[in-house]
Amino acid sequence: MTVLELEDVNAYYGNSHVLFDLSMRLEQNEVVTLLGRNGAGKTTTLRTITGTVPRREGRIEYLGEDISDRSVDAISKMGIKMVVEDRRVFPTLTVVENLQLARDLSADPRPVEEMFDIFPVLDDLRQNRGRNLSGGEQQMLAVARALIQDPDLLLLDEPTEGLAPVIVQDLREVLGDVVERDVTVLMTEQNVDFALDLGERAYIIDRGANVWEGSIPELRQRDDLLDEYLSVGAQEAD
Amino acid sequence: MVSLELVASQLTTGLVIGARLFLVAVGLSLIFGVMDVLNFAHGALFMVGSYTAIAVTDATGSFLLAIGAGILLVGVVGVIIEAGFIRRVYDRGHLDQLLMTFAFVLIITDAVRLIFGSDQKTMASPDLFNFSVPLGVASIPGYRAFIILMSLVVLGGIFAVLKTTGIGRLVRATSSDRDMAALLGVNVPRLYTGVFFVGAALAGFGGALSAPLTSVTTSIGDRAVINAFVIAVIGGLGSFGGAFVGAMLVGVLGAVGSIWIDGAQDVVPFLAMILVLVLKPEGLFGGLEGS
Repeated sequence: MTVLELEDVNAYYGNSHVLFDLSMRLEQNEVVTLLGRNGAGKTTTLRTITGTVPRREGRIEYLGEDISDRSVDAISKMGIKMVVEDRRVFPTLTVVENLQLARDLSADPRPVEEMFDIFPVLDDLRQNRGRNLSGGEQQMLAVARALIQDPDLLLLDEPTEGLAPVIVQDLREVLGDVVERDVTVLMTEQNVDFALDLGERAYIIDRGANVWEGSIPELRQRDDLLDEYLSVGAQEAD
Repeated sequence: MVSLELVASQLTTGLVIGARLFLVAVGLSLIFGVMDVLNFAHGALFMVGSYTAIAVTDATGSFLLAIGAGILLVGVVGVIIEAGFIRRVYDRGHLDQLLMTFAFVLIITDAVRLIFGSDQKTMASPDLFNFSVPLGVASIPGYRAFIILMSLVVLGGIFAVLKTTGIGRLVRATSSDRDMAALLGVNVPRLYTGVFFVGAALAGFGGALSAPLTSVTTSIGDRAVINAFVIAVIGGLGSFGGAFVGAMLVGVLGAVGSIWIDGAQDVVPFLAMILVLVLKPEGLFGGLEGS
């Protein structure tokens, strides 16, 4: 079943044209990575799906329904949740309050305690305010805050950015478990190892337009693409 | 030689002034703290609360109804202003907000003048409050003690809602990051309308409660909004605890200071504001509580 379909989507920041006839399709429970250089339009694509950046032309369908002109909160309520690049946990709410808030906004949430089982590191930090958490802890909380709302489609924007290698490893394990669940994932990631490891399929975009799509095993064989659009050699990606 | 009784009497007067100042400032602080909107029409809404209380008391004789009507009517006026107009200038900065809300000061003032005329109005405090609360060598008239009590109730109520309820979490989260709140499913425009209703209703509450303590004219809103801004700046825009401390500080220092310096009550608020702006520009306690 197709969960998300973008068809010739064009989006703009003010008068600046940033997405050009972008099309993509995600099937249920797929983990799709969106790859490209900095500024290629990856984050903009996710923001356009969530309604944060309004698209002007084209069509975005979620579970067969046109969501192109829906508000950000309405799209969220339909089951699309996003973990944003800079985490943006609510700095003055405690860890528990961040989770309770997200839980209260979902029609069919998962229990707060389940999040502490998935992210044991947060268990000892329940009463700590978001602003007092480390970058890694904030990222765990940001993912937990999205998961507690039991999303059907999870958008992860650069989940490893700025994290220490040991934290990236922890996050890889947690997200590895997450993607085994009944959830479809669309992820942008600069860490190509991480992206290829978790993803099943990939889209490469450049200057706001699709340049390639295919499976991760196919991509691993395409040194030319990895060099041209991701600036890494195949040996690094293996 | 100044008698102890006089100082004590001025002290209690100062507490009452402080409580009234807080009731004016709290709604302004709420709206700014959550929505980052400087509502210059807050004083006009306060004035509408006073007139509504007087009109309802005249019509029904019920103080409770008068207070309720002041809260509700002003809250609804606030919703009309927010949903119909201010919503369109959220992203345009404080100058546009001030200009738009200033337009409402003029519109509301003229509308009230049209309905109630230019004469000053008065309202007696309810007989229920015909008692005094002894306080050492001084005493506070019952209605003034009630005002102090109400200011504490409002402060405690706001803290309780913000700290312990789901709505409070929602408000605190949205005040710190409205875009992220929307991504989690918060209908931000609806939440803002709700917050503006509460902020305006608090202005109406303050205005209705203040009606028995003053001669009500259409100009009381001007003074009220200036005081509200001064208190909010001293306390830290968006901070209710700060607004309370600031209001009490200004009320008490002004009243007690007037024993020695004539007109101190008029000078102290602005002097305090200047000192705060120079020494601690974010105010005594900056930011929305718990935010």
